Amino acid sequence: MGTAMSLDEDLITTSQQVSVESKSPRELAIARFQRDRLAKWALFVIVFYLVVAIFAPLICSLLGISPYALDGKALNDFGLPKGSFGGISGAHWLGVEPGTGRDILARLIYGARISMLVGFLATLVTTAIGIIVGVVSGYKRGMVDAVIGRITDLTLAFPSLLLMIALTRPIIQRLESFGIPEGNTSRIVYIILILGVFGWVYVARIVRGQTLSLREREFVEAARASGAGTWRIVFKELMPNLWAPVIVTVTLAIPGYVATESTLSFLGLGMLPPTASWGAMLGDSVRYYRADPTYLFIPGIALIVLVLAFNVVGDAVRDALDPKGDRQNIA
Amino acid sequence: MKMRRIGVAVGFVLVASTLTASCGGGYDNTINILTNGEQIAHLDPQRNYTGDDLAFAGSTIQRSLTTYKFQAGDAGSEITGDLATDTGTSSNGGKVWAFTLKDGLKYEDGSVITCADVAYGVSRSFATDVITDGPSYAMTYLDVKGEYPGPYKATAAQQAAYDKAVTCDGNTITFNLKSTVADFNYTTTLLTFSPVPKAKDTGEKYDMHPISSGPYKIESYEVGKALVLVRNDQWDIATDTERKAYADKIVYHFGLEESAMDERLIADSGQDKTAVTAGILPESLKTVFEGDKALAKRAVNYYDPFVGYTNLNVKNLSCLDVRKAIYLALDREALRKAGGGSYTGDFADGFIKPLMKIDYKKPTQLAGLNEDGSPNVEAAKAAMAAAETKCPEVAAHAKDGLKFYYPDTEIWKKALAIWIDSMGKAGIKIKPEAVGDPAQYWPTVMNPETDYDIVRGGWAPDWANASTVIPELFTTGGGFNLTRNASDPDYKTFETKVNDARNTLDRTAQGVKWQELNQFVVDRLWALPGTFTRMQSMWGSKIENSFQWGPFGAFCYGNLKVQLEKK
Repeated sequence: MGTAMSLDEDLITTSQQVSVESKSPRELAIARFQRDRLAKWALFVIVFYLVVAIFAPLICSLLGISPYALDGKALNDFGLPKGSFGGISGAHWLGVEPGTGRDILARLIYGARISMLVGFLATLVTTAIGIIVGVVSGYKRGMVDAVIGRITDLTLAFPSLLLMIALTRPIIQRLESFGIPEGNTSRIVYIILILGVFGWVYVARIVRGQTLSLREREFVEAARASGAGTWRIVFKELMPNLWAPVIVTVTLAIPGYVATESTLSFLGLGMLPPTASWGAMLGDSVRYYRADPTYLFIPGIALIVLVLAFNVVGDAVRDALDPKGDRQNIA
Repeated sequence: MKMRRIGVAVGFVLVASTLTASCGGGYDNTINILTNGEQIAHLDPQRNYTGDDLAFAGSTIQRSLTTYKFQAGDAGSEITGDLATDTGTSSNGGKVWAFTLKDGLKYEDGSVITCADVAYGVSRSFATDVITDGPSYAMTYLDVKGEYPGPYKATAAQQAAYDKAVTCDGNTITFNLKSTVADFNYTTTLLTFSPVPKAKDTGEKYDMHPISSGPYKIESYEVGKALVLVRNDQWDIATDTERKAYADKIVYHFGLEESAMDERLIADSGQDKTAVTAGILPESLKTVFEGDKALAKRAVNYYDPFVGYTNLNVKNLSCLDVRKAIYLALDREALRKAGGGSYTGDFADGFIKPLMKIDYKKPTQLAGLNEDGSPNVEAAKAAMAAAETKCPEVAAHAKDGLKFYYPDTEIWKKALAIWIDSMGKAGIKIKPEAVGDPAQYWPTVMNPETDYDIVRGGWAPDWANASTVIPELFTTGGGFNLTRNASDPDYKTFETKVNDARNTLDRTAQGVKWQELNQFVVDRLWALPGTFTRMQSMWGSKIENSFQWGPFGAFCYGNLKVQLEKK
């Protein structure tokens, strides 16, 4: 009787396992991600920020606020917001900017556009460069790998923030002389360019490592044995197996670049007035920490929440793609 | 003299990190001057032309023929002999001025300060290719026949011509002037008239290590870090009625973040108890003046000698109606609030401050300009409409975008936002052009190559005569003319009137002429009057003699005193 029971149980488990194994790795990953409730919330936050950024003009006009309209009446004689909590009122839900009386909510919404634009574009550029360099380096090995490896090390060792600061003005001028529209366009192009120059190494190193191990695997050898060319092996055999680590890097890179944009703005290398950006808001608000602390918290919290959301999603994606990870049971 | 304060520096340092740096410890008999600048614009006496820097160098390391008394209030605007025994004697109807040097004057190396050194120093100010940015009064006033390119490039004949204009007889130096200058002994308070030993002159590099004639000398000078002054034992107090040199050491700390400077002075701990800083940020004003009573005692809020204004490039904006439109559309009240409200100052009605008394009369204001500083958008639009027919090209330029060069600081970003917003309402576009390092702002816009439409300006008279304001700001020979107004059809008339006013000997009659010329410029709007500025400064709790020196709108740095701990 006992043996029969256990046999039955074994049968059931086996059949269950069979049905589970029929799912593709991607379906499995999605299922694992969905079990992570925190990650789902974080994803919702990211989507919310994206929607707000994309529809900023619409949202602001619906709310009847403008990021550029001055409101001197909301300021006292010191140029500081009237009333407590940074001038929070029915007309200005998050208060007004000291000095000008511009609406902070509207500037936050418009600022999200710059931050997101820079974050996503910079990630796109660095990932594209990183994948190409990484695959070439890992697949070719030998001299090519050695040379690329040294370049990678050199780039990593560079004090990139210092260089970013030092190069800002000369490079922006050069860009403008190349016909890129002066003003904010050239500044955004510069930020993305410089982040691209320094950011690709992180992706490249991960991709190279992955490629090194993949290229020795049987399926690659099989492809090679059946006469597949380098291009086919790279694009059809290696690439599809690289997306997991790349996605993880990407989700962790975006908030990094959003924060970098803020840093540059904070250092005065960001957008030109009157454009709003979170970094510029932070840079400005820090000075008012004593006179108007509310102003400091608002852009700070917005940035923290976004960066945190991306990190949570990034972690969840990594866990979902890697069954051995230890955060599976978090749900 | 130029205004030093340009705005807030680029913030490289977080507030928190600098706060901890200043905690703890006692203090020494050292004055600490905190600034956001990377260096002092010019320490070379013939190049120094910034109010604050003149007060600094003139009270510590350099002496001139005459000086303003080192005193608070109106007494500080009186002059007295410095290197000279008295305030000079004039003859030939004010066309010849003679000064006799005191005995026992020495440089830091012990060598004697001679009449020839003063003459050589003055001659340097003619070499405008090397000795840049300095006052040009010597060139304007001295009767040097023919061209004189300064001592470096002069031929023997040219040098001889200069030596005829400035002669030395023993200890007496005589200046021969082109025409009567009744108050030339005020001109000689400028460090243009400070001695430079020819053998020690390093030309352009002299800026970094001028030889001291005052009670302090340079121990070290590192751009971006600090300038350290120590006692000059060759200086004899018996030769000096004004300098007291109480402190053992004066350290000028460069490259600090402005908000951090305010924080350090508010916190008042350790060495910061003997620190001073010129200017308080708008965000700190409330804390300082309406927060703690003890803090307000260590700070001052007063009318400094400066007028803040905005230069228009008259060459590009050759149409008066467009300039009118800009002035009418500008939200001056918003700008004033962004700078700290009433602490910024009062709306200016011209370029001569009421403090000038005899030279000031309220000019008639532009029709339609609102007294309360709010914009008159309707009138601005009407002016633009008029410009469309009268001068369509200039109007089109204004619509296409006017280049506004501004120092890239938080306050100026806001000011630019206000400019962009106000001009937009009148259909005028502003193209912001950021100048990264605030200290490079004046050199950038004063470069004739820089193609701007609008730049800011700030000016104080060099002495109590509008001859140091109107000609300096609006004639082509002036030291700070950023309006590029030479092509204006009225310019010739203006220059004739300026020369007439300069040559008017009766001071009251001259005053009336300056009043009229002030009106002349206000009518033509070569520049837009901004604010009769107020200035706020703060000092540490152990600082004495912290009065603001009237003519310069700055501390009398050399006489700052540390209240030593009782032992």
